[in-house]
Amino acid sequence: MNLDAYRIADEPYYQPLGHEIETFQAAYAERLPVMLKGPTGCGKTRFVEHMAWRLGKPLITVAAHEDMTAADLAGRYLLEPQGTVWHDGPLTLAVRHGAICYLDEIVEARQDTTVVIHPLTDARRILPLEKHNEIVPAHGDFQLTISYNPGYQSAVKDLKESTKQRFVAIDFSYPPPTTEAAIIVRESGTDEDLAGILVAIAQRSRNLQGHGLDEGASTRMLIHAGRMVRAGLPLDVAVQSSIVLPITDNPDIRAALSDAIQACLP
Amino acid sequence: MNAAKQVTLHLVPPDEEDSATHRIHRLMLQRETLRPLFRAAWDDLSHHFDESELEAWAGAVLTLAHVNAGPACLIAYWEASKNDAADRQEIAPLLVAGQMAANICRNAGAQAATAALQALPVATRVFGSGPALARWWRVVDLLARQAPESVAPAADNIAQILAPGTIDAFEDFVAAGLKFASGNKARRQAFFRLEEEFARHMIARDLGSVTFLETEIELKAFVTALWGKPPLLRSFAADNSQTPQRRTSIAGPLIRLPETFRGVQGDAARALFRAAAAHAQAHLVLGNGLFPVGTLKPLQIALVNLIEDARIETLAMRQLTGLRRLWAPYHVATPSGVVAAPTLMARLARALFDPAYVDDDSFVAKGRAMFTAALPRIDDPAISREIGMLLGNDLGQMRVQFNVKTYVVEPVYRDDGLGLWDFGENAPPSGEVIELPVDAVRMERQEAPDGDSNEPDGKGEALGRGRPVAPDERGIIIAKYPEWDRAHGIERPEWTTVREVAAHAGDPRLIEAALDHADALRSRIGRLVRGVRIGRTIRLNRQHEGHDIDIDAALDAGIALRIGQEPDPRVFRSSTSVHRDLAALLLIDVSESTRDRLASGATILDVERLAVAVLAEAMGRLGDPFGLLAFASDGREDVRMTTMKSFEEPYDRRCVARLAGLRSGLSTRLGTALRHAGKVIGNTTSGRKLVIVLTDGEPSDIDVSDPLDLVEDARRAALGLKNTGVDAYGVVLGQAGGEAAWRIFGRGNTMMVHRIEDLPGRLSELYFRLARR
Repeated sequence: MNLDAYRIADEPYYQPLGHEIETFQAAYAERLPVMLKGPTGCGKTRFVEHMAWRLGKPLITVAAHEDMTAADLAGRYLLEPQGTVWHDGPLTLAVRHGAICYLDEIVEARQDTTVVIHPLTDARRILPLEKHNEIVPAHGDFQLTISYNPGYQSAVKDLKESTKQRFVAIDFSYPPPTTEAAIIVRESGTDEDLAGILVAIAQRSRNLQGHGLDEGASTRMLIHAGRMVRAGLPLDVAVQSSIVLPITDNPDIRAALSDAIQACLP
Repeated sequence: MNAAKQVTLHLVPPDEEDSATHRIHRLMLQRETLRPLFRAAWDDLSHHFDESELEAWAGAVLTLAHVNAGPACLIAYWEASKNDAADRQEIAPLLVAGQMAANICRNAGAQAATAALQALPVATRVFGSGPALARWWRVVDLLARQAPESVAPAADNIAQILAPGTIDAFEDFVAAGLKFASGNKARRQAFFRLEEEFARHMIARDLGSVTFLETEIELKAFVTALWGKPPLLRSFAADNSQTPQRRTSIAGPLIRLPETFRGVQGDAARALFRAAAAHAQAHLVLGNGLFPVGTLKPLQIALVNLIEDARIETLAMRQLTGLRRLWAPYHVATPSGVVAAPTLMARLARALFDPAYVDDDSFVAKGRAMFTAALPRIDDPAISREIGMLLGNDLGQMRVQFNVKTYVVEPVYRDDGLGLWDFGENAPPSGEVIELPVDAVRMERQEAPDGDSNEPDGKGEALGRGRPVAPDERGIIIAKYPEWDRAHGIERPEWTTVREVAAHAGDPRLIEAALDHADALRSRIGRLVRGVRIGRTIRLNRQHEGHDIDIDAALDAGIALRIGQEPDPRVFRSSTSVHRDLAALLLIDVSESTRDRLASGATILDVERLAVAVLAEAMGRLGDPFGLLAFASDGREDVRMTTMKSFEEPYDRRCVARLAGLRSGLSTRLGTALRHAGKVIGNTTSGRKLVIVLTDGEPSDIDVSDPLDLVEDARRAALGLKNTGVDAYGVVLGQAGGEAAWRIFGRGNTMMVHRIEDLPGRLSELYFRLARR
């Protein structure tokens, strides 16, 4: 089967912050599974796309959700006029034909679902398809990457120890201010001064993490704000609509954040 | 109103001999000391009023004399009469005053009546002499009837209480005061003496100003957002002797803000609070330690403060440009007016803050030039001292006036600067010294029992099954329980006595500060809450109807059809969410051993308190009904239970205050505590009932020599709970006590917390694990 639809043609922009590219390359060379940790909107998904492009491999992304079953990942029989036909799930597709399979927000999935990846993530590198009575050995190019937001998920939904310990982990966090500003300039097309202000604003909201906010404004949020400004919105309105309002519903925190943001505006 | 009726009676012309005028003059002849004062008042009044009016007034004085109002009260009445008559030429209000004072005297005593009369001029000034004043008297009269002891305190503070200026506000205030204390005299007095935060809050609210309390949460979040460090904000606990605080003050790590900024209202007040808090926190974040006071003169100190303020603000505005907008509105000094030290300093402050400000004064210009020259060294606090000392000398030589007693720092948002100085050992009010009396006050408050848990409206009848006992240290008997006799294998009936001890209210901010420290844990628990609150959704496969096709069921049905079997029609999928129906009671061991200190310096009780606060906060947000009980015992006759939170009340600051007020002491009679917990939780209607016991060792008590007896009794109690459908879990702190706890609760229902510091996290995890079952 041809996975060309899953290939990434143009280089997705990614600004490295540390050794994450080298780490991923090394892990890929050894076909070790990788776990990306970090808060929302800090570039995990972008990083995987960038690496798939860099390595020239197709990328199959699955967003995990609460109702996801093992069959949704591995595949199931479907009924056709001639009878039942086996249909590979996205994971099986990647295993069979050699792609990077990216399971986004893996902890959202039910725990019984996540164990299907166990045989793939140790020395065996196989995917047993019980219903199809088949064992699929992983293609040479196959690699598994999962993402996981330690802040977001709850302890009840924590990854099992037996799952966690199979992965090489790369930790993501918000980039340092100058880098973050450069990213905003690049992604939203705003000027550097504005990007600097947006980063300062983000810092204010990140200061409130654990003191009223669960997570501060993400880089993605800042890029959105920058794009709103570029689309012609005044800065304070853009910040209000793309940062303050989405991030909290608590009136006190909202007022405090708005005022702190005022302190960042020139 | 009977006062009015009696007044008209007095207006009827009496017989000469029997007239009130006659009688009062006769009475006064016998009173050497009072006579001249009476004469003065009489002469004064006779200029304004005719004979019949004077007769009525004399009648009012007689009434007062007949209720034994005492000389002080009579003098107060005469004084009030003189003042009033001069203004108004009307006798009726004076007669009403006399009559009401007599009423108050009957109900609340002479002192209260005197105080009320002394308060009269203030009330007259505020309300005039019309119907509003009559209402004022009626309210004071009501107060005298319902809370006789509170008339004098209220009258003494009348100027502040009447500050809002409307009679409605006064009526509300008194009604709130009577309700607030619900029969507790001490609390009531504190309220009317304006020692209670709530009382001051009410007045401030009626004034339209914003109180610290109203804006505290927002303020804290604002300052945290600016510099990432949660500030320790406090308001001044102003007592009466103190003039209200006008400026912010820094005391060590604390920022003390005025309770209100007088004369500033609404959004302007909120903005001022933000400006003040941001300025103070900038000192704490960007400043570098204290200045030694050395031999500096007050004027020099004031100027060093001024330069340091400018330096800190310059640094802060380099980081956050927009702070200029926050502070700028308060710099209103203009280059004109009297040349005095405070005005010059306000002008200098503005010159250093606002580059666009023009001021030709040589002193201001010099200060500005020096500050600008020092800008390259702006990070160095030494420049504040250097420039401030030089400018202080200059100002001193200019012989402008500077009165250290009346000096108030300008602009209004800046702090008083005392917190920046190290005053050495024999210090005037530096940060630490301010701190001490505040703590002392806190201690005193803890001694006073939390009035709203007991003493139902002064009628004194205790509730519950036990006989009424005077609410002393040992509390009110609420139940008796049997205890298991291990040696004889029987239950001794009514063996232990449980007393409800009123909780002491501590300072909830202590716990709030501890919670702030544990923010990582707190946010983790917060997420657990969210996970649980949404309710688990369970997917239901193979349903008759649903929102989606169950693909596997549909396939099976299709296959069945093809092979000629009857298909299962249940090919849909739906989901449902599980509702939790759970009540939990936390039973906290506060025996003597919880006084032990850990390596961190905190006591075991401190950790227990934090753990309970974290969990309680989470449970409160979940909306699960829960209760908090602390227990300790001093022999079987005295097992003390303290309710921090009952199932009925919401988890609010008062509960936190009671939690903060917990103190270690006495022993652990666990079995009785468990039985009582079972009874308390038995009254709830939840489907699942959970008792979690927090203890630091095995049961013991002073009248039991073999601790095994109590272990066995507790085991019986736990079994008893289980039989009534209540799950009991033991959380054991430290290394010891594990064996006993296993015996009591069973291995599966015991959690050992070896590292006591882990307790807050472990306790909440336990709860959520249990809650999901």
